[in-house]
Amino acid sequence: MDEVLRYFQKGFNYSQDGPGNRLVYHLSGCNLHCPWCSNPEGLAPGGGREETVSRILRAVASARPMFFDGGGLTLTGGEATLQFKAVMQLLEKVRDLGIHTCIETNATHPRLPELFPLLDLLIADYKIPDKEALFSWTGADISVVEENIRKAAAFGIPLALRTPLIRGVNDDEDDLAGFVRFFGEVKGPGVTVEFLRYHEYGRDKWEKMGMRYAMADAFVGTERVLQFERACREAGIDVVRT
Amino acid sequence: MYTLPGSAKVITAMAKELFREERARLRLDGWFYLKESYIRHEAAYADLPPMERAACQLKEAIRELPLEISKHALFAGTQRDAFARSYALINPSFQVESFAGYCDPTAVFDDIEPNEEITAERIRQVREHDRQTPYVKKLSQTYEAAERYTGEVAFFMEQVTGHVVPDIRPVLRDGVCAQIADLEEKIAKEADPKKRSGFRAMKTALEAVLVLAERYGDIAREQLQTADETDKSRLEAIIAALEQVPARGARGLFEAIQSFVLMWQVMCIEQAPNPFAFSVGNADRVFEPYRAMDGMDREDAAALLKHLLVFYNVADRSWAISQNLIVGGRDTKGNDLTNLTSYALLDAYYDMNLPQPILSTKLHRNTLDELYKEMGRFFFTPGCLTPSLFNDDSLFPILKAHGVRDEDLPDYGIAGCQEPLIMGKDNGNTTNTWLNLAKILELTLTGGKSLVTGEEIAHYAAVLPPVERLRNLRELFYENLAGFLKEMEKAANGCSEAVSCLPVPFLSTMMGGLETGYDMRDTVHQGTRYNGSGCLIHGLAVVADSFVAVDHLLAEKPELAEDLLKALEKDFEGYEELRSYLLSLPKYGNNEDEPDEETVAIANRVSDMVKSLRNYLGNPFRVDFSTPSTHLLYGYWVGALPNGRKSRDMLNYGVDPFAGEAGNGLGLRTLSTMKLPFEKFAGGYASHFGIDPKYFTSDSHEGKGLEFKQKVVQPLFFNELADHISPFYLYVNVTTPEMLRKVLANPKKYAPSGVYIMRIHGTFVNFLDLSPAIQEDIIRRLDPESTSIEC
Repeated sequence: MDEVLRYFQKGFNYSQDGPGNRLVYHLSGCNLHCPWCSNPEGLAPGGGREETVSRILRAVASARPMFFDGGGLTLTGGEATLQFKAVMQLLEKVRDLGIHTCIETNATHPRLPELFPLLDLLIADYKIPDKEALFSWTGADISVVEENIRKAAAFGIPLALRTPLIRGVNDDEDDLAGFVRFFGEVKGPGVTVEFLRYHEYGRDKWEKMGMRYAMADAFVGTERVLQFERACREAGIDVVRT
Repeated sequence: MYTLPGSAKVITAMAKELFREERARLRLDGWFYLKESYIRHEAAYADLPPMERAACQLKEAIRELPLEISKHALFAGTQRDAFARSYALINPSFQVESFAGYCDPTAVFDDIEPNEEITAERIRQVREHDRQTPYVKKLSQTYEAAERYTGEVAFFMEQVTGHVVPDIRPVLRDGVCAQIADLEEKIAKEADPKKRSGFRAMKTALEAVLVLAERYGDIAREQLQTADETDKSRLEAIIAALEQVPARGARGLFEAIQSFVLMWQVMCIEQAPNPFAFSVGNADRVFEPYRAMDGMDREDAAALLKHLLVFYNVADRSWAISQNLIVGGRDTKGNDLTNLTSYALLDAYYDMNLPQPILSTKLHRNTLDELYKEMGRFFFTPGCLTPSLFNDDSLFPILKAHGVRDEDLPDYGIAGCQEPLIMGKDNGNTTNTWLNLAKILELTLTGGKSLVTGEEIAHYAAVLPPVERLRNLRELFYENLAGFLKEMEKAANGCSEAVSCLPVPFLSTMMGGLETGYDMRDTVHQGTRYNGSGCLIHGLAVVADSFVAVDHLLAEKPELAEDLLKALEKDFEGYEELRSYLLSLPKYGNNEDEPDEETVAIANRVSDMVKSLRNYLGNPFRVDFSTPSTHLLYGYWVGALPNGRKSRDMLNYGVDPFAGEAGNGLGLRTLSTMKLPFEKFAGGYASHFGIDPKYFTSDSHEGKGLEFKQKVVQPLFFNELADHISPFYLYVNVTTPEMLRKVLANPKKYAPSGVYIMRIHGTFVNFLDLSPAIQEDIIRRLDPESTSIEC
């Protein structure tokens, strides 16, 4: 059966969503409620446009001439794994065409490991190392997130872990220790870590959608980012910047 | 030989002063003196055949024209006397609402302010005289006959002046005297009286440039009498050069430029007023042999070339628009032809940053990274001119398939904006016709009645009830188009016949006339190796999007079909919901099958129909999907369309998506573009990317130039996965709407020199010189969402 995917944005991106020039689909709907989200228009599961997997596959195949510098397809969101069945069907078929595949996820879906064989790269968020804080800020269950990331590392799939560094959310000394602990646990060949500085690109979107942007005074200084990067590097973790 | 009158620095300073002096000129009277001179000598040569008569009048006019040499000039010569203050887009009084095209050849008399010397009465007399000439009479008849089509621009046509790429290389090499000697031999031997007369005319015309050189020499010698020490060496260099060129071959870069300038001056004078869009062609290849003779380094060569660039700027607004210089390119085997003069020219352009002449770059798969690095500074310096980009790897096979010989392929030049023509061999009449597909769609939908004015214009398709019209829209449109094309062909050839009343023996010497003996405008005998007539086709994407919208409406909301026609009549007033629906439907430019395939189908079919038209010599019309700001001017005369576009709104630009409709970024837009049948666009096409500089992160201009190659040029032009001929033209503006609004709001801060160069289609403009409507068009056309490299 030809599954249906719902997405709220598509287009090419260079260097931030995997290697090379990538066709990125932002799939609709998210199970978390991060108040710093830069794509709030993707939170609602019913928003955006609907297309069958076969139509999207055709679009992906026709986009081949633009997959230069090792590019390919990236599925992101919202949270891509919420449309699990359709995502799986699409990734299988795109893989068959020999096109590089990547998914960008919050790693909360319990069936995420089923996608590993279909991926050339997994980009996973690891937002806050503290269980309660993570749940309270975002609604995510850390045990599922950590389990998925451990399995990905063990599977040997290239894994890019990303953390938005946010003042007052995940930037204190305990957080730093927590990041070093968990990243140190999963480090290894093919596993990279990146700290992304907090930005407010989403603020206007929240306001345009008539919603309150709840974050305030959340920017972190360059020095703090460097400290986090340094501490991880000292623990043998491969820290990158894209 | 000669000694340069100063260091590169001194010569550069002179060039900058010369430009300042030129920009301070507010009057352009030379063309008027020329016209008066022609009239004075009309009777004396009345018995001669037209081509010879024109040559004699040209020579007389050059004898009488007031001349001067500026104290900042390194070369004698100017284009000033060939141009009037006419070009609409940089004319402060220009308004979209009142623009009527350039169809009245006597309108130029409105562009000269009477003063004590050139009185209103003098102007009136010359104007009256012009009105009685066969040229103006024939042209007026042609326009009158086509008025019902041109009034709201279903199509437009014009007599083409300028717009070719003369080959001046033989004169630079051998000199004019050698050509005159050759002509004398031909005159003696030639049996055909028409050809013999042609050769005689060309001989006289070439003598005109010798007269000009001699007169400038006299002025320089006179100035030398009172010159101070600094000026002496400058004047001595000019005098020495004029004693050699253009009579004889140039012996180095200085003489080559002097020779070139005088040839160009006479060529433009011959077509005064307003011989727009003459182009130099491959300037780096033209001048490199002479730089090499001198062993001159890049810095000195650049300094001399700066004076050549200033020569292309006329008066306060650089009125001589669309004259094009090219660097780079390849030969037929794929070898790169970039040379040291290419880089010297780039240095000259960058340092001077003048509103004219236009810079183009030819690229190919083997173009060196060095050239991309050098281009980085142009793209990433705000307010700096930018080269337009041509793809030799595509244009060679396209031109070859359209009849160009192998040996001529590397010699294609760009006449005007983006029209490829073979240097010295190709009279393409590039801007002969202007076709408005969107207006013809409107008239198809209404059965011939204008939605803008309510006038009955014309209709050549079957008359069907409204909803049936929608059901059969495509076929009715093409049937209607065929009727309009027939009329357009007739009108276009009328214009070409009119302009043939003004023979151009001087230009013909650089366009193959020395071999054929025919004037390049001759409508019976072909004077150039290649000949055609251009057709600039407007509205591709809006028509395609409209077809798709009608399909969806009929399939999804058939009950609203009748409403659509009413909504168009009302410009969607009271039909806002229907308009929102139409706007939400798939549009060209997002790599979606339906609208993209429709666009390709229209491009194919319209191209074939246009190519089947025949010009005055029986040659095909050339397909050119370019809309040099006319997408705005012609859009003003097009009513609301089914794609949701409102009445009088602009059309899409060239082959680009309708502004605002390709919001998914550069990658998907590029994929849509790549589907078009470029192999059929032998006359050229227009496409523009307005790119936000933030996507280029390297910390140097050179690095950004390479990024530009990687992210923009390579995928579009040299894509290994392209399944047919790749695009061959692009121009870019690397800026943002916000930046341009800041420049307008605070020009002193953001453009302290008073010059902020932008590109519009093939030409540079000083953004601050433009009329507000065009400024707004440029801002809108940046369409940043369609070129986003981030998603």
